[in-house]
Amino acid sequence: MVGTSNAITVEGLGKKFRLMQDRNWTLKATLLAGHRTRYEEFWALRDVSFEIPTGETFGIVGGNGSGKSTLLKVLAGILRADEGSAVARGRLSALLELGAGFHPELTGRENVYLNGSILGFTSREIRNLFDDIVEFAELEQFIDEPVRNYSSGMYMRLGFSVAIHVEPEILLVDEILAVGDLTFQKRCLDRFARLRDEGRTIVVVSHDLDMIGRLCDSSVWINKGELAAVGSSSSVLEDFISHDENSGMNVSDQSHHLRLKPDDLVKSLELVDVNGHSMSSAASGQPALIRVRYDADRAGEPATVALGLYRADGTHVSSINSGATTSAGNDVGVIEVDYEMPSLPVQPGTYEISIALHSRDMTKVFERHTHLFRFEVDPVAGSHQTGLVALGGNWAAKNVDESN
Amino acid sequence: MGIPKNKREWLGLIQPDLLMNLTLRDLRSKYKRSVLGWTWSVFNPLVAVVVYSAVFSIFLRIEPSVGDPSGLDSYAVFLLVTLLPWQFHVTSLTEANRSITANSSLITKIFFPRWVLPTSAVLARFLTLIVEMLVLLILIALWEGHIAFQWIPVIAALMILQLLFTIGLALMISAANVYFRDIQHFLMVALQPWMFLTPILYPLNLVPADKEFLGISYRTLYQLNPMVSWAKAYRNVLYDLRFPSLERWLAILSATFIVLYLGFKIFNRLEPRMAEEV
Repeated sequence: MVGTSNAITVEGLGKKFRLMQDRNWTLKATLLAGHRTRYEEFWALRDVSFEIPTGETFGIVGGNGSGKSTLLKVLAGILRADEGSAVARGRLSALLELGAGFHPELTGRENVYLNGSILGFTSREIRNLFDDIVEFAELEQFIDEPVRNYSSGMYMRLGFSVAIHVEPEILLVDEILAVGDLTFQKRCLDRFARLRDEGRTIVVVSHDLDMIGRLCDSSVWINKGELAAVGSSSSVLEDFISHDENSGMNVSDQSHHLRLKPDDLVKSLELVDVNGHSMSSAASGQPALIRVRYDADRAGEPATVALGLYRADGTHVSSINSGATTSAGNDVGVIEVDYEMPSLPVQPGTYEISIALHSRDMTKVFERHTHLFRFEVDPVAGSHQTGLVALGGNWAAKNVDESN
Repeated sequence: MGIPKNKREWLGLIQPDLLMNLTLRDLRSKYKRSVLGWTWSVFNPLVAVVVYSAVFSIFLRIEPSVGDPSGLDSYAVFLLVTLLPWQFHVTSLTEANRSITANSSLITKIFFPRWVLPTSAVLARFLTLIVEMLVLLILIALWEGHIAFQWIPVIAALMILQLLFTIGLALMISAANVYFRDIQHFLMVALQPWMFLTPILYPLNLVPADKEFLGISYRTLYQLNPMVSWAKAYRNVLYDLRFPSLERWLAILSATFIVLYLGFKIFNRLEPRMAEEV
């Protein structure tokens, strides 16, 4: 046998789902239709093979619906392969959703025990780890409160803390590093680094290519259920990004129109250039305009428009609201509201915009769409800067000769 | 899976901590945010006893059999000793049946042995049955001077066998319910006649032994229902103060192990695709 030192061996893996034509969950239909219910088969994964050596940090990338989460679920044992095999050697834990299984009416303490035992701890093990878990989540004060009173950040922190204390030999992570505030995120990353240093195998699925590049030694790119590339992270990411640029651009444009329903108050949200043309990407430091249309008749009054800008990893960049400045004077029909930025103050990357329509006095929310619009911010040629924001300053140098 | 070889493997198979924590979750969350809390669990049997006693004992004048050798003659006791185990049967099955579909977020996000979900739902209800049965023993001792404490080991054996039987049924229906949501409706429809076809409200000797259907007497047919054996055995021990016959025990033991075996068999068969169908 090859690769005895592999933590995970995937061979010819295939997973199919049934797409029910008419999804009738009834015994009668099954009996009448005989043994076969009508459904179409859809291969979410097909013929995927790769190996993950023990101790490696491994990334899985791919577009939306490419099958990467399915792959993770097969690795975790939640879904069973229809073809081929995925074999993991060693105690495995999957961080697919934080706090899955928390019961809202139970206290934090009770939920730690419950969640811990679902993740495979014995009660004694949990008792020994309990203080560490609570301390890591920074919830000492609230641990005997029902978790329904927790903020979503507290909820996630507790979920993360329980999961990370499992100390598995193989850890599967799905897009959940963006938990809590920056200090907490930093501690999560430290914790991952520690697990890695201890020689544990970590498999990460993420849209944050930056993070995959930084954390992972090697990666696999899954495209439409098939293995598109496997190898060192830098080469896989390069392939993935160049492919994404060629074909993926229209996706964001379509997706935001798909998500708005005809009877929503918000009619459209666009990024437009100086000439008023819709675009799916903008350039860092260049002018950009966010244009929102909403139905003022159905809102009943002119609304306050609030926009939230997020990085694709969930980091909140900024929120702004129009206050009372959005009245068009005659507030009937569809109103168009523009938010103009003389220079887009963010670094290149993928961003998302959330929108909410409030009543004028901000006491009511008419409608809210989170992460409605996704767009890319492209780098500007010749600009060398990194970090969160594009400061947009200018450099100047002059000679100051002290002897003068 | 093979037979476990050591303690560690046994624990992995039985999952005692996971079962306990899930059972506690069910118990703790059940009456949260209700003013009367646990007292609600007393009302259900209380109301049932009052209503059934009125209708069946007073209006329809069903005579409970006189306890032999206890000499007890009380419809309320006659009813309660079988009604409590029956209500355990009904509520366990309804709650266990929902347990998989109601925990879909767990099933699709975490890998863990799924059989613990219906099993812990039954266990949570079983703990309340233990309390109810103890209260019953005390009440009949106080009111009727009917002392059944010495029979506790036999009652416990019957209850544990019923627990295993119910777990077997719960595994079957909860797994099937993932694929056919009809099961929950079917259950509602089936439990009603099932109760009337079990000697809970009336004594078994009201079922004619001299009338036949396809050459088999009504009473023999009637006793194909495994719950008849439990009802009769509970009544033997708690009402008559008598050890149930060997036949009863054989019927109970075989029903328990056949159903438990089939339950795990069916559940394991349906488990692999649960995460995508739920």
